[in-house]
Amino acid sequence: MPDMSVLAGPQQHQFNPYAENGGTILAIAGADFTVVAGDTRQSEGYSIQTRYAPKVFRLTDRAVLAVNGFAADGNMFVKKVKQRLEWYRHAHAKDMPLRAIARLIQTMLYAQRFFPYYVYNILGGIEEDGSGAVYSFDPVGSYEREACRAAGAAQSLVQPFLDNQIYFKNQTAAPGQSHPTHLPLSDVLSIVIDSFTSATERHIEVGDGLEIYIVLAKGRSLQGVEGLRGLREMSSREDGERVFVLQRELKKD
Amino acid sequence: MTSIGTGYDLSASTYSPDGRIFQVEYANKAVENSGTAIGLRVKDGIVLAVEKLVHSKLLVPGANRRISTVDRHVGLTTAGLLADGRHITGQARKEAQVFRQWHRTPATLKIIADRLGAYIQMYTLYSSVRPFGVSTIVGGVDKTGPGLYVVEPSGVYYGYHGAAIGKGRQLAKNELEKLNLTELSTREAVFEAARIIYLVHDDAKEKEFELEMSWIGDETNGLHVPVPKDLHDEAEQRAKDALENFE
Amino acid sequence: MDHFPTNWGRPNYNTFDAHATYPLHVHPQPSSSADGVQHTQQPIVTGTSVLALKYKDGIMLAADNLASYGSLARFKGVQRLQAVGDYTIIGASGDMADFQYLQYILDNLIISEEINPQDGHKLGPSEVHEYLSQLLYARRSRMNPLWNSVLVGGFRDGQRFLAYVDLLGTTYKASTLATGYGAYIAQPLLRKAVEGKEDTLTEDEARKIMEDCLRVLFYRDARSINQYQIATISAAGASISGSLKLETSWGFAEGIRGYGGQTQ
Repeated sequence: MPDMSVLAGPQQHQFNPYAENGGTILAIAGADFTVVAGDTRQSEGYSIQTRYAPKVFRLTDRAVLAVNGFAADGNMFVKKVKQRLEWYRHAHAKDMPLRAIARLIQTMLYAQRFFPYYVYNILGGIEEDGSGAVYSFDPVGSYEREACRAAGAAQSLVQPFLDNQIYFKNQTAAPGQSHPTHLPLSDVLSIVIDSFTSATERHIEVGDGLEIYIVLAKGRSLQGVEGLRGLREMSSREDGERVFVLQRELKKD
Repeated sequence: MTSIGTGYDLSASTYSPDGRIFQVEYANKAVENSGTAIGLRVKDGIVLAVEKLVHSKLLVPGANRRISTVDRHVGLTTAGLLADGRHITGQARKEAQVFRQWHRTPATLKIIADRLGAYIQMYTLYSSVRPFGVSTIVGGVDKTGPGLYVVEPSGVYYGYHGAAIGKGRQLAKNELEKLNLTELSTREAVFEAARIIYLVHDDAKEKEFELEMSWIGDETNGLHVPVPKDLHDEAEQRAKDALENFE
Repeated sequence: MDHFPTNWGRPNYNTFDAHATYPLHVHPQPSSSADGVQHTQQPIVTGTSVLALKYKDGIMLAADNLASYGSLARFKGVQRLQAVGDYTIIGASGDMADFQYLQYILDNLIISEEINPQDGHKLGPSEVHEYLSQLLYARRSRMNPLWNSVLVGGFRDGQRFLAYVDLLGTTYKASTLATGYGAYIAQPLLRKAVEGKEDTLTEDEARKIMEDCLRVLFYRDARSINQYQIATISAAGASISGSLKLETSWGFAEGIRGYGGQTQ
């Protein structure tokens, strides 16, 4: 006789304050640029809630934040980060530097250590020394600076691809030659688009649309973005760091 | 005044030997110094009108309104200390909201007047507080039809067909009594209200004033709103013309 | 006697805060029960799907008139669509008690933001949606959710607005939306009929699409009923229809073995 005692008495249903809304984000740092991208599908279970819900947000002219995980937490977190950056602007009459934003995000995430924002963050942009930078976070604020990172539903598909293409893992350089430390922008954009088309093929939660943010260091030429179809500038001025956004379709099935 | 120097007028918690509370009577004095406010309860609604005395040309025309909205269907105006009036408005809004919270239905005019009366009366009981220096006209249309009440500084309140408070109240009441209020439409009442405010304004003594009017009735869909500009201007023009013919 | 009128009618805190060390607005509230506070763990009286779509002139919403008590069709004349201000209509599924509370909250919001100030500033659909999402997210964060999925449709300054928010604070926008069972059954039909045609669909065509979806839902969703309301919000303003009856046909059942009059 199976033990039925667990079924006796009232059953306790616990309200689950979290959901998982799918999608994938990634960021790649170049020598004097950074690319941050995410798909625009939002889903729950097998249902597509919407085909266009942005996961990548411009914070300042030199910082872009991608959030992935529980969408409600993500939106709230971005809202609060933006609010803190606005207060900083009012207090200091300048935008917060990228590495300061990274530490701010750690502090804000860890403040919720015992009821976390269920969100993986990737922050991309330009450092004060003009270099491209990517910071990645776990939901409670652990973070490090990296050259590239993928997160979200298709992290396990995209990250190995990036390791191979960006870090040249398992690739041997030709005799007498070494791998480059940074790739040019046009190569990076191709890798980003390939990553998402591939993830769309193999993961049901990825697809619909792709939004790619490109941050260029101050004074950098537009090489690599010139002539791109549908490129939109998001920056407030032309003589500082510049932010562009690029939209591409992904398969909707 | 005979009461001065006797010591019975220093606190709202002390009666005089003949049973009066001088602090409350002084509060009424504050009301008497104020620009006139009138209310008309007519066939399908109510009209509120105020002689808003403008003490400086530097003020923005139309700003600092003296008529306020308490709930969708209720308007309120006070005469007396303006800051006290603001507080009473806030309290009236709170009462309307609390009633809605408890009963999930809008409060009737009678209930709002009753609650305001109870609140104002509390400030006539203690030495630590000062009675409100305002009389309040609350008017509106509820499920029982149009309602118009005046709450005095003592906390006493009465329902009226026509109400007048402030400086020109006596003259205004005389005019209101001549009207057949139960047969008037709100639109007609707007013209009468404007005329009365212009009539009672004493431009020999007083500085500039603005006519402020609001109404609730069939034409406003049961909502308390300012009288629309074209109607307001027409009523104001007719009031001015009537005044010239009167003199 | 307490001679501070602001304290009249309030509970007093003398017993544990004799020196008034707390500022007024953070006075700790004494707990009403020793066992702690009960929170909503599950919906009780529920409404099923709400549907909405974008069409040429604005937004159309639809919901049936049933409030269920478990599997019992408990209240058969419930309105689940509600206008909020001049430019917005919301439709709710989930717990109907929580929905009535939302209606009360929104009514007060409109009174305090539009009626009382009389400054001409009105709340549009995006503001109403933002307010609702902040409210629902705050409640889920206190582990005391308002158990609803709400569609917010609106039209203001020539712009259509259609968005979703639920008990978790999850939000999204799309040209067709459906809550509950409708997300599985009606949403695919709506997408097929509407996507790409948002700017050409007429009100009559949109109404037909809605009725077809409601009919399929009535056939397949055991918590639905064949009485419904349709609301539109457009340049002409908000309008919510009276209770309408779904046309259904059951003749096909005769041909199904085991359903009709077959003998074997």
